Amino acid sequence: MSGADLTIDGRQIEVEQGVSVIQAADRLGVEIPRFCYHPDLRPEGNCRMCLVEVDGFPKPVVACATPVVDGMVVKTPHTSPVASRAARGVLEFLLVNHPLDCPICDQAGECSLQDFYMHPDYGQHRSHVDPEEKIHKRKRVNLGPRIVLDAERCVMCSRCVRFSEEVSGYAELQFVRRGNHVELTAFEDRVLEDPYAGNLADVCPVGALTSRDFRFKRRVWHLSHTDSVCAGCSTGCNVRIDHFDGHIERVVPRRNPEVNRSWICDEGRLSYQSLTSIPRLTHPREGDRRLLWAEAIALAHETLHSAGAVTGLPLAALASASATNESLWLFRQYVEVAFPQHLLEFRLGREMETVAEREDKLLRRADKHPNTMGALHLGYGRGLGLKGLLDLAEKGELSRLLMLYYPPLVGQEAEETKERIAGLLARVPESVVLTTHELPYLTGAKLLLPVAAWSEEEGTYTNHQGVTQHVGKAISLREAVRPATDILGDLWQVATAARRETAPERLFREIAMSVPAFRGLSYAGLESRAATVYPPEGRMHYGQEGFAGR
Amino acid sequence: MAQYLTRNALDPAQRELQTALRAGAYLGFKQALSLPPQEVVAEIDASGLRGRGGAGFPTGRKWSFIHAKEGQTVYLLCNADESEPGTFKDHYLIERDPHLVLEGVAIGAYAIGAHRAYIYMRGEYASLAETLAAALREAMAADIIGPNCMNSGYDLRITIQLGAGAYICGEETGLIQSLEGRRAYPRVRPPFPAVHGFLQEPTVVNNVETLACAARIMAEGAEAFKDHGTGRSAGTKLISVSGAVERPGVYEVELGYPLMEFLQGEAGGIRGGRGLKAIIPGGTSVPVLTAEEAAPLTIDYESMQSAGTMLGSGGMIVFGDDTSMPQALLRIAEFYAHESCGECTPCREGTGWMAWVLRRLLAGEGRPGDLGLLLRVGDNIEGRTICGLGDASVQPVRSFIRKFRPEFEALLPEPVQAVAWQSHGHGPRTGRFGPPAEEATRSEAVDGPPTAAL
Repeated sequence: MSGADLTIDGRQIEVEQGVSVIQAADRLGVEIPRFCYHPDLRPEGNCRMCLVEVDGFPKPVVACATPVVDGMVVKTPHTSPVASRAARGVLEFLLVNHPLDCPICDQAGECSLQDFYMHPDYGQHRSHVDPEEKIHKRKRVNLGPRIVLDAERCVMCSRCVRFSEEVSGYAELQFVRRGNHVELTAFEDRVLEDPYAGNLADVCPVGALTSRDFRFKRRVWHLSHTDSVCAGCSTGCNVRIDHFDGHIERVVPRRNPEVNRSWICDEGRLSYQSLTSIPRLTHPREGDRRLLWAEAIALAHETLHSAGAVTGLPLAALASASATNESLWLFRQYVEVAFPQHLLEFRLGREMETVAEREDKLLRRADKHPNTMGALHLGYGRGLGLKGLLDLAEKGELSRLLMLYYPPLVGQEAEETKERIAGLLARVPESVVLTTHELPYLTGAKLLLPVAAWSEEEGTYTNHQGVTQHVGKAISLREAVRPATDILGDLWQVATAARRETAPERLFREIAMSVPAFRGLSYAGLESRAATVYPPEGRMHYGQEGFAGR
Repeated sequence: MAQYLTRNALDPAQRELQTALRAGAYLGFKQALSLPPQEVVAEIDASGLRGRGGAGFPTGRKWSFIHAKEGQTVYLLCNADESEPGTFKDHYLIERDPHLVLEGVAIGAYAIGAHRAYIYMRGEYASLAETLAAALREAMAADIIGPNCMNSGYDLRITIQLGAGAYICGEETGLIQSLEGRRAYPRVRPPFPAVHGFLQEPTVVNNVETLACAARIMAEGAEAFKDHGTGRSAGTKLISVSGAVERPGVYEVELGYPLMEFLQGEAGGIRGGRGLKAIIPGGTSVPVLTAEEAAPLTIDYESMQSAGTMLGSGGMIVFGDDTSMPQALLRIAEFYAHESCGECTPCREGTGWMAWVLRRLLAGEGRPGDLGLLLRVGDNIEGRTICGLGDASVQPVRSFIRKFRPEFEALLPEPVQAVAWQSHGHGPRTGRFGPPAEEATRSEAVDGPPTAAL
């Protein structure tokens, strides 16, 4: 089918047939206020906030449910008094029974209602009904471990209802009663079982559904934002890390139609908690003795080389697929340069076999490593696996082990894997482990080196589809923790007496030049991808910096 | 008083199939079955039949919108929800001549190529549903309706479905949602039911009386239908008259029949010999008429339109000169506030707000500017909602206030009170967040300062 040319607020755009007016406006960057429209949900047209004036139409039409027609001339509230009056009228209605409790509402600062009622082109912030006359509805309704409902703040846009019906399929929410007594509820007030319930707080344009995890933690305008990718499994959902003063306050999804649309699972959303819920490894440590980094690097070098020189047995190099492409690349290069005899491996379990295996219909995957595909592309996975290494160690055929290990952010490491790692460390006499946490199954290592965890270092992951995505650094490093690439760079320097470039963008350039799967990619390109590949249509509520002059 | 649709209605035995057959029941269906469906549509189109549910849309044209693609199932839905206040004509038809209604449903279904038809009845009509179901069982036992209707090779299954008593279920897309087992939230159009209706299939929704007319037209011809009525208003109309009349009830009249003649004749005049104050001619969703406005009118689509109102469903509500119009309006406004489904913002909040303001006016707590506020709220609802209920709720408010303004003004506080009130208001709207100066609406200017902001 051919396209359609239309004009929105005097600006022209050509779009394909079937696109709605609001989608065309989003592509143009013309902001049309909306509550119920969401790019990843079926349009419902119930909030009436996106009413626009269209030449030749007798009355304003909803931009979200009106398909474009060739030659259409659309005027939004920014230019049309008719549309502006309509928007103002809708806001006036929404405020009639709204509690106007913005000062104590978690949504304040990222609330569509608040943004719109302050807007110079169509804002209106009066509530004509006295507070004692307003219709009161349920507050602080417990909808389970993720979500709290305040029915008075609800604007009945039904995004949450549609999410639970269309996306997660749990269909646990519905409206009851009629007229201005309509109220959102879960059936019999049961708690939500939806493993994607956290998204309900994201799709809610106001403060009706708030995240229990984030409630009252921080005013949103105090948050700093870092774009990243979830490290919970091999799906690689795009996320934004919201942090304050060196602490992650929440993780929210970023829209990427090719990977996760606008969603993320609850496990991934809360995976950041596991970074701090168990004690971190804060200093290089030999047994119980803390080391300075200079000592630690020297000892690591000595440990890994001296033993090999005596026995002549190969070095086992094991890096988990939760490491970034850059760390994996440098890890492999270091091992190849420094240890002529080595066994390179990344598999702790069945990563390779399960990398694309779905755990449910939506996003979750069985492989809890974010970078299994990256590891495969970078030449890992041709060795023996953890099991094979353990067998060798049991036969006394391994003398040294260098390991870069990240515990899974979602769920627990499999008991079998823990036992194998502990067994390996117990049998290999000389071992150096780079890791993030104090873990009981790693205590057998001769030397432990603290490395930066997810959100503390930059880099890239390659997800199960083979899409390479940039992972941001949100949190500064604490104590003596260092990025794995820096540590490997130091080891490289001790081994070769030459300096090694360790900045992620430099390492990525090397990868892109040497590894076919990464050819043509640029680090800077990946960093700005969300901003360039998915223009305004992809902006979900959180990204509405352009609105209301913010 | 005309005798076209209701000519057999006074015979209690008409509900029984044998009596009805003797009176000519299902001859129209038989005639229809002998024609190709498009000729049935053409015949209805030629008769000039317009929808009797309220909107008055030409029935033949509505049927002609159905273009089923390969693999699609077409549905005919008969709207027997009859939820418009003041309307009880369909009840009469179904109660007195259920076979006429079933025949109309069968003809409509045949004409649009449907093999499934549903009759959606309001929940309050539970006993009536049993009457209709008994008639349907008889017609099915006689092989008139069912597989191979009257040996024609045409299959039809009719299902009677009871609603649970909500005004919105009479709105066609609300009805469809309800029939699908969903909450009766009307759908945004386009797509229209003719394209994506019941179960997303091509669907026609027709009123009971409309289909009954179709049955007569197929039996007796389009010309016989057009012998009744006037101009673009062909046929007869059932009028259910209630309120301050001596003989409330359902009457069949020729379209074009003088309104006053009907009021004084069939309806028996104003109760207690009082004077006429106002008439709502077609259900509460149409603008009210003053006695003076009503005097020259005739009962048909064009005449009502010329007076700025509508024939609507024919649910006529008559007000005697002892009626308090604000009281009457409050009752209507509370109906709409109660029945707004709550799906879209303007109707959900606006209907409740209008009722709230009227309630305080009648409680003697009115504020200066309340009348302007009511009209402005109405302007913000009208034309901005998903379905017609929003517009419907505005018509009575606007027309009552415009036409009986002194009665409403009498409820407002004395000016001195207004000054006292103003002193703690927020004063005139100015500054950045006030509405722009051009925010003059169709209604009268706000006749006082705005009510206090929070």
